Amino acid sequence: MAKTVMVVDDSASLRQVVGIALRGAGYEVIEGCDGKDALSKLTGQKVHLVISDVNMPNMDGITFVKNLKQMPAYKFTPVIMLTTESQEGKKQEGQAAGAKAWVVKPFLPTQMLAAVSKLVMP
Amino acid sequence: MELDQALQTFIMESRELLEAMEESLLGLESEPDDRDAIGAIFRAAHTIKGSGGLFGLDGIVAFTHVVENVLDRVRNNEVPINADLIALLLSCRDHIGMLVEQIAADSAAKPDHETETTGIMLLNQLKSYQAGTQEQSPLPAITSSQTKPQSQTAVVAQSGGTVENDNWHISLRFSHDVLRNGMDPLAFIRYLDNMGDIVHIVTLPDAMPFATDMDPESCYLGFEIDFHGENVDKATIEGVFEFVREDCSLRILPPHSRIEEYTQLIDELPEDKIRLGDLLVNCGALTWNELDEALRLQSLNAEFGCDASASRDSGNLGQILVEQNMVQPELVDAALGKQKLAKENKVQESKLIRIQADKLDQLINLVGEMVIAGAATSLLAQRTRDPALHESTSTLSRLVEEIRDSALQLRMVQIGETFSRFNRVVRDVSKEIGKDIGLAISGAETELDKSVVEKIGDPLMHLVRNSMDHGIEKSEIRLQRGKPAKGTLHLNAYHESGSIVVEVGDDGGGLNRARILAKALEKGLVTANQTLSDQEVYGLIFEAGFSTAEAVTNLSGRGVGMDVVRRNIEALRGTVEIDSREGVGTTVKIRLPLTLAIIDGFLLGVGSASYVVPLDMVMECIELSEAERQETRESNYINLRGTVLPFIRLRDQFREQGKAGRRENIVVVQYVGQMAGLVVDELMGEFQTVIKPLGKLFGNLKGISGSTILGSGEVALILDVPALIQRAVNKEAQQLAYSQTK
Amino acid sequence: MTISIESSNGVCHARVTGEMTIYHAAEMKGELLPCLDYGTEVEIDLSEVSEIDTAGFQLLLLTKREAAKVGKSLRLVAHSPATLEVLDLFNMASYFGDPVMMPRAAH
Repeated sequence: MAKTVMVVDDSASLRQVVGIALRGAGYEVIEGCDGKDALSKLTGQKVHLVISDVNMPNMDGITFVKNLKQMPAYKFTPVIMLTTESQEGKKQEGQAAGAKAWVVKPFLPTQMLAAVSKLVMP
Repeated sequence: MELDQALQTFIMESRELLEAMEESLLGLESEPDDRDAIGAIFRAAHTIKGSGGLFGLDGIVAFTHVVENVLDRVRNNEVPINADLIALLLSCRDHIGMLVEQIAADSAAKPDHETETTGIMLLNQLKSYQAGTQEQSPLPAITSSQTKPQSQTAVVAQSGGTVENDNWHISLRFSHDVLRNGMDPLAFIRYLDNMGDIVHIVTLPDAMPFATDMDPESCYLGFEIDFHGENVDKATIEGVFEFVREDCSLRILPPHSRIEEYTQLIDELPEDKIRLGDLLVNCGALTWNELDEALRLQSLNAEFGCDASASRDSGNLGQILVEQNMVQPELVDAALGKQKLAKENKVQESKLIRIQADKLDQLINLVGEMVIAGAATSLLAQRTRDPALHESTSTLSRLVEEIRDSALQLRMVQIGETFSRFNRVVRDVSKEIGKDIGLAISGAETELDKSVVEKIGDPLMHLVRNSMDHGIEKSEIRLQRGKPAKGTLHLNAYHESGSIVVEVGDDGGGLNRARILAKALEKGLVTANQTLSDQEVYGLIFEAGFSTAEAVTNLSGRGVGMDVVRRNIEALRGTVEIDSREGVGTTVKIRLPLTLAIIDGFLLGVGSASYVVPLDMVMECIELSEAERQETRESNYINLRGTVLPFIRLRDQFREQGKAGRRENIVVVQYVGQMAGLVVDELMGEFQTVIKPLGKLFGNLKGISGSTILGSGEVALILDVPALIQRAVNKEAQQLAYSQTK
Repeated sequence: MTISIESSNGVCHARVTGEMTIYHAAEMKGELLPCLDYGTEVEIDLSEVSEIDTAGFQLLLLTKREAAKVGKSLRLVAHSPATLEVLDLFNMASYFGDPVMMPRAAH
């Protein structure tokens, strides 16, 4: 059974490229364009991993993860947060919210694939 | 292929972000404390950098990285926002835009020399806003593998021999919280197994407490792993566990480590020494002899009271410490959170989907075909005189019309985006020419067809520049004239009877009627005895050859390439009017059709050919009597209820073969207050039609603006009424002049 | 996840269906351990386990250990592919001592 990864980022091109890389490796991918959109798409279905940007309109990544972790179906779902190295403060906030894995932007598709496979094999 | 598409998305997205960035930057000029604007600017740079990296666009990433860095400092109030910084950031924005456009033109392109120079110059200027220390490279990297020193793997021979084992040895102890944090040790071990070969693994459940105390969501496992991998270094192995750095203790011993290092390992691990010794031998990490040696060294250390780990520089075994007492998740201030949410909702409730323009065009094309086919069906239905069929086709026609309108609606966009681009223009140009000019925008929400929007930018730019260059006076003069020192340029848009009107207005000096007239006389555009209304005089500045740049400045009016503006607008089936009061200001009014795709037309027949005239330009149709036909054979005008109506015979105009029909009709068309007649053979009635542009080959055809396909499948040409009227009027004027000189 | 339990002739048969993951860990612990009270022998049928993570695996370990403590035998039978993979990856097949069909050569 394919593992499902949710990609949440306000950049459509980022979602597209990450989606191409992950689907190519055998994951199923669902997308959210911001925290609010992502939450509306999480209806209890199995999601093995969430990748989320920090900086997003409507609902930022930290608030999104806090909300995600409140949902019984996703409280143990691993989260990879996308960050820039200048966001140390955000990182602490995000860790507290429940995002333990961080990947620095920019990254190459292969690097994202590696990061994802460390947490969930396809 | 897929990636190409993603790159297109990236380019479009970057353009949008850059536009938003510019808008916010300009907003900061008046409101430097606008946190939302600063956030939006940061996010634009952040997203472009992040997504650019995915495509390996290192040039964009490297430059944007520095910009983002400065913006982050602005965001954190470490750098104050001021006019200089805004100007610099605007230039940076432009530079990023340039880099993106170069990628858009050729995805493999390297920036040209000029762009590169600009980039270096901007980076230099940004330096003073950057944090003191040199930033690390922004190129793709995942944190931990980069931040961990890699040199520690070097093994220096010291006391004690090295072990025979040529595998890496990895000791892992997970924290209780690791599972709750969503991390599964299984996953990392799986990954490790994929990266090389787990030669041997021992799973240690020793830490699991009594059943009653065992928390099923806690992790109690540890692992001793012997691992072999090609081209693996310590950093690679650490990288596998980067996400659990804080949730595990990780000890890595390279192949052929010193026995001493195993001693230390045994020391540090929580389990009983003997059990660990067994484990390490079981793992194949140590032989029994090596274990003996390790334990001997250990007792030696203990004897001399020196801690094994203190004897070498601290922790060079690459241990990754468990960081305990992690900050408890803060509960969000619920009230604050809700408040914020409500605000965000308001900001962007509308859900948008992105559609490729050509898909929409295709839809509109199909709708067009449907309109045509529908017209043909209606025609047939009418002939049958079957009332039921007639009714059903008329319902169908109504639906088709609605579909047409909805489809066209899809392509409607607000003009606001086009307008707001001028914020930047007005700002830059007023600086450049040393005038104080503000921009006022109204009617930004007015919608018009995307195809029109795309083409209106250039004429608007022309008009705006003209107003700024020649319309609005310098502050001193304005003050002398009792006007506010700051001039205002006004962009406005609204709908008016099926058209959209776009106005470019200024509160400048206005046009000088006398000087325009003098100039027009000099150029031979008018004759001395012509009486012209103000409108007509002002309209002269749109005449080709009316002005050269030199003349315009002398006129203290406007006119640089105004004829080009008019040509562009007319190509869109639009008109330009100008309204001006000396000393008070000038307003240029552009009137455009809402869409370029479909018109209600009036079908005319000349010989075997059919022509279409936009219905809203048709005033009336008159049948030419035999007497009038005789009368007008030589002239080009008739007397229409006491006024002179110039006309054109389409038969002559388009060199239609054959003799004129038994009857001829005049279709009176009007455009911008001017009227002319078109002489045709046959009037075929109203006809809803889809405009198909003429190919490039026919682009220069005079008097034709497009083509369409009739219900019967025949092609009909759409007449360019403004051009035809112009031709008729000119012809008449020439003839008049000719007869006068005679 | 559901666990069905039947007991006959002193043998307790438990059959786990669905995910043995952390989401169900508390529930599983509450159902698996009492199995030891239902018979002198306990057999856990893993054929319907679709997914198992470290939390699920730990509970099998715990049950095995507790069984040994009270002198009862615990057998894991009919391993599903997911459970076999974990047993293999953790190299714990011999710990449980049940005959299994390993999907690949053991190290």
